[in-house]
Amino acid sequence: MAGVDELIAKEGVEEETVEAVKSLAGAYKYGWETEIEMEYAPKGVNPDIVRLISDKNDEPEWMTEWRLEAFARWEKLDEPSWALLNYPEIDFQDQYYYARPKSMEEKPKSLDDVDPKLLETYKKLGIPLKEQMILAGVDGAEDMPAEGRKVAVDAVFDSVSVGTTFQAELKKAGVIFCSISEAIKEHPELVKKYLGSVVPVSDNYYATLNSAVFSDGSFVYIPPNTRCPMELSTYFRINAENTGQFERTLIIADKGSYVSYLEGCTAPQRDTAQLHAAVVEIIIEEDAEVKYSTVQNWYPGDENGKGGIYNFVTKRADCRGDRSKVMWTQVETGSAVTWKYPSCILRGAESQGEFYSIAITNNYQQADTGTKMVHLGRDTKSRIVSKGISAGKAQNTYRGLVSMHPKAKNSRNYTQCDSLLIGDKCGAHTVPYIEVKNNSSRVEHEATTSKVDEEQMFYCRQRGMDEEEAVALIVNGFAKEVLQALPMEFAMEAQQLVAISLEGSVG
Amino acid sequence: MLKINNLHVKLEEEDKQILKGVDLEVPAGKVHAIMGPNGSGKSTLSYVLSGRDGYEVTAGDATLDGEELLDMEPEERAAAGLFLAFQYPVEIPGVGNMTFLRTAVNAQRKARGEEEMSAADFLKFVRAKAKDLKIDADMLKRPVNVGFSGGEKKRNEILQMAMLEPKMCILDETDSGLDVDAMKLVSEGVNALRDEGRSFLVITHYQRLLDHIKPDVVHIMAAGRIVKSGGPELALEVEHNGYADILAEIDA
Amino acid sequence: MSTAVKMQAALISADARPASGAWLADARADAASRLAAMGLPTRRDEYWKWTRPDSLISAVADTAEVLDYEGEEPLFSDVDRLKVVFVDGVFSAEESDALEGEGLEIERLADAAAKDIHWAKDLYGVLETRGQTPVNRPIAVHNTAMATDGVVIRVTGALSRPVSLVYRHEDANSDAILHSVIRLEDGAELTLLENGPAAARFSSVLEVDVAKGAAFHHVRAQGRDHDRQAITHVFARVDAEATFKSFTVTVNGKLTRNECVIDIVGDNAVAHIAGAALGDGAEHEFHHDDTVFITHDAVACESRQVFKKVLKNGAKGVFQGKILVKPDAQKTDGYQKSQSLLLDDDASFQAKPELEIYADDVICSHGSTTGAIDEEALFYLRSRGVPTPIATDLLVLAFLADAIEEIEDEDIAADVTGRLDAWLARRRG
Repeated sequence: MAGVDELIAKEGVEEETVEAVKSLAGAYKYGWETEIEMEYAPKGVNPDIVRLISDKNDEPEWMTEWRLEAFARWEKLDEPSWALLNYPEIDFQDQYYYARPKSMEEKPKSLDDVDPKLLETYKKLGIPLKEQMILAGVDGAEDMPAEGRKVAVDAVFDSVSVGTTFQAELKKAGVIFCSISEAIKEHPELVKKYLGSVVPVSDNYYATLNSAVFSDGSFVYIPPNTRCPMELSTYFRINAENTGQFERTLIIADKGSYVSYLEGCTAPQRDTAQLHAAVVEIIIEEDAEVKYSTVQNWYPGDENGKGGIYNFVTKRADCRGDRSKVMWTQVETGSAVTWKYPSCILRGAESQGEFYSIAITNNYQQADTGTKMVHLGRDTKSRIVSKGISAGKAQNTYRGLVSMHPKAKNSRNYTQCDSLLIGDKCGAHTVPYIEVKNNSSRVEHEATTSKVDEEQMFYCRQRGMDEEEAVALIVNGFAKEVLQALPMEFAMEAQQLVAISLEGSVG
Repeated sequence: MLKINNLHVKLEEEDKQILKGVDLEVPAGKVHAIMGPNGSGKSTLSYVLSGRDGYEVTAGDATLDGEELLDMEPEERAAAGLFLAFQYPVEIPGVGNMTFLRTAVNAQRKARGEEEMSAADFLKFVRAKAKDLKIDADMLKRPVNVGFSGGEKKRNEILQMAMLEPKMCILDETDSGLDVDAMKLVSEGVNALRDEGRSFLVITHYQRLLDHIKPDVVHIMAAGRIVKSGGPELALEVEHNGYADILAEIDA
Repeated sequence: MSTAVKMQAALISADARPASGAWLADARADAASRLAAMGLPTRRDEYWKWTRPDSLISAVADTAEVLDYEGEEPLFSDVDRLKVVFVDGVFSAEESDALEGEGLEIERLADAAAKDIHWAKDLYGVLETRGQTPVNRPIAVHNTAMATDGVVIRVTGALSRPVSLVYRHEDANSDAILHSVIRLEDGAELTLLENGPAAARFSSVLEVDVAKGAAFHHVRAQGRDHDRQAITHVFARVDAEATFKSFTVTVNGKLTRNECVIDIVGDNAVAHIAGAALGDGAEHEFHHDDTVFITHDAVACESRQVFKKVLKNGAKGVFQGKILVKPDAQKTDGYQKSQSLLLDDDASFQAKPELEIYADDVICSHGSTTGAIDEEALFYLRSRGVPTPIATDLLVLAFLADAIEEIEDEDIAADVTGRLDAWLARRRG
């Protein structure tokens, strides 16, 4: 009975999940704040601040110029207003654009210099023990056997990358995984070639601001014909108050390579909203494949809509080579406001893009999220599966574009957008754009909106589950297809998050 | 075990009285059957007892081991030991049958202040029960009732019953949509659960199910009331003469 | 001065507007000031990104040659109907029937305009104004200010025969602006037929108020003159238990944009809007745009949008459809279907099927597909001996069927199908 044995592994995961959910008992899990002495640049943004950030990172002149040009463009742009989002005007001059732990002032020569409070932070973030030890600089940690699967971690604390694990082992494979500030110094030829080549400096308001003021982020290069020996991961943490976080991630998958990249985000509970505007660029060459998974759990604000992260993110993958492939998977449960459209440019022939998304909004959260599939090459394929869940007084919008260019012959897209409403004070919206300019391609789009089925609820309750348990179970079922697209560790976390995010949504 | 006293029920959204004074007592360890023509209120009785929305109790009460049932939420009734095998088991896409079962088992254990079952124990437990009902691993992995045949759905209901070990089981038209073999399988599952401490209320339109699940008492329900009660022979009488004769006899 | 600005400037002076009695003059003045405030559409507007408004708002209409229909009887010729004929937007008394009927008040807008007080005051420009939120529809506002004629209809019973508006086109440079107002009283029934190209450029507004339990059926055929342009708006308010059904068939036309704005305001109402469009851009441009906005503001209502387009040789199709469900519109059942068949590689289709939902107890969905003809079905037909061109046309008709099925009257539906079949056959030669 091989089937049953398979079942054990799978069921085992879910068991842990259920236990974890119960142990969390409600409140936002990551709402603590670490008291660390911080160094701030003055509030506001101007060319001097841009120079200061560049200077703090020891950047070469070309990088400083690049940033200043971005800033000049940003000043001419208006904040976009087309999304179905409603939030008080952001005063971009009332933010800190640079903050970093004082203990980082002198970059640690070894990880021993890392502030113990930072390490405490990793622990709370649930970073695996071995990675914690490596981040903590424990002697010989790199050589210790890792428990379970290895995951290399780059941790970004407020604006600064504080440490990357497994660098040595990755180096052996030829993989470069480091902070982007380090990459600018160590691998300028790669950064120069690719930075801004997928998300141009003037792409949009938030991306342009990011180009000017990004302080750090992760850099990945996978050499040709290399399968990255472990999953790569970045944990983003906003800690300091009134501080915008602007990280920049650049991933290059050279010909025939493969990498799976995980991104997790958390932030402390605060009454005032905080700004986060990130840019992720992915370049995928011939026959290469990148999986990018996100569990976004920034602080969503309290049940009255106070505080929370404003999350404006530009993520784009450029499938340049033939038969290249990208898969975006996102679980968006956090943030007060989410503005995010991870996109795929399918340039290479037979390239493929996939987008799997769960967006959960509760209380006063608002999410306007989706994807763009731009088919340029022949025989390209894309698939979109979006599951939006709206509860409380939240608004949840799927916004997407599927575009078949005249030269994208014989291409395919399939889109499925489902929305679930829990309670009668929330909204669920679907705004798809479909553009088809050749007839050998086929585009199929389906969308549904409904509420949690009463029959299903009664059935679960007759079997003894309370309302919240029943809703969590049904919603996890509704989102199954997306959860299955996540790597195992993230799938567990995501299942918990579904349950936690929906607490207080029924009854 | 189950005591129903002068139960009057109307539809919440319509001014339509469905149950008009049902009196019924099912002692521990007994199997009672309710038979009756379509529209007599049989299924309504099962829904009201298990707490489904849409009905309003206008008079009377129902107790399970002395506990007032009608004030409880559906999950509280389940934890108290009431189980309804649905006439039309609900499909829940995306939720694995196994996950569903474990969530239900552990929710009830928790509500009763018992320890939750470990993954390994649960698996052993479910496999043993599933085997008795000829439910294969594949059926356990599939989403709850999705793509199940009529017979599979009913077997799945009995599996849940076996796992949850309720003390009061209501079977709502469990025979509907089953062929002879499936009916036999389901009935064997039910009979295996018969026990001194467990009672059954078997709701059915036809006598044939009662050939397999032998009742202690048979009640005839018509127009929202129990109109006649008797031994198993009453079911045979219905089988031979239909409901019309009995109803005429009562009217007379 | 750009043409658009000229068009606006004309509106500012009251003299430029058609002479009207007090009630209508007020409505026109109001529209003129609203238009001045909102401005004319530009390609930067969200709902004009796929259709260029330029030729619809230019000071002078582009020329459109009158098509020779070669003796073909116009659609609805066999239907027993009350016929009202406009030639290039001008009423033709000799071709029209007497404007009367049991349970019916019907007159020309130009006649109603001459009066100082008229019941149509409560509707003319009123539903159009409601339809300006949340999306501006400036050409409809322009129409309210500038319409030269139209019909004003009030129905109190179930009419024995349809009212048929016939729009003939004779002048290759005509520029017609018509505006009709229709009120169905409680429980009344009306079938409205519209057909013909109307003019080289035709701006039409229809305001339809469907009171409790009333039923409005609308079947429209837009003439086949190749270079004609049409910008039409239907604004409807649908009250409790009422039915609103509208179907439009479009074959040819350089530019057609049909906007439909439906407000469902009473419980248990039904609104269906459907369209079938066929365009071949080989010798003449073809651009067809359906822009639909349905608002559910009542309980337990049903709406359907079924739009099908068959496009080839550079023909362009656009569908912008929205279902908005307001917070208390529980038990809404809304469905939207937009499908395009691209018969060759030059054709293109752009769609934005939107859902905006603020009530939870709803079932709303949409489906959109775009692609080539089903090769397997084609092969199957060919293997049974049907030549490719005939097989293709057969599949085209099959593709259009569920839009045409939205026509309530089976005879009219059969007539529409028959004419499409004949048109396809003629093109096969």
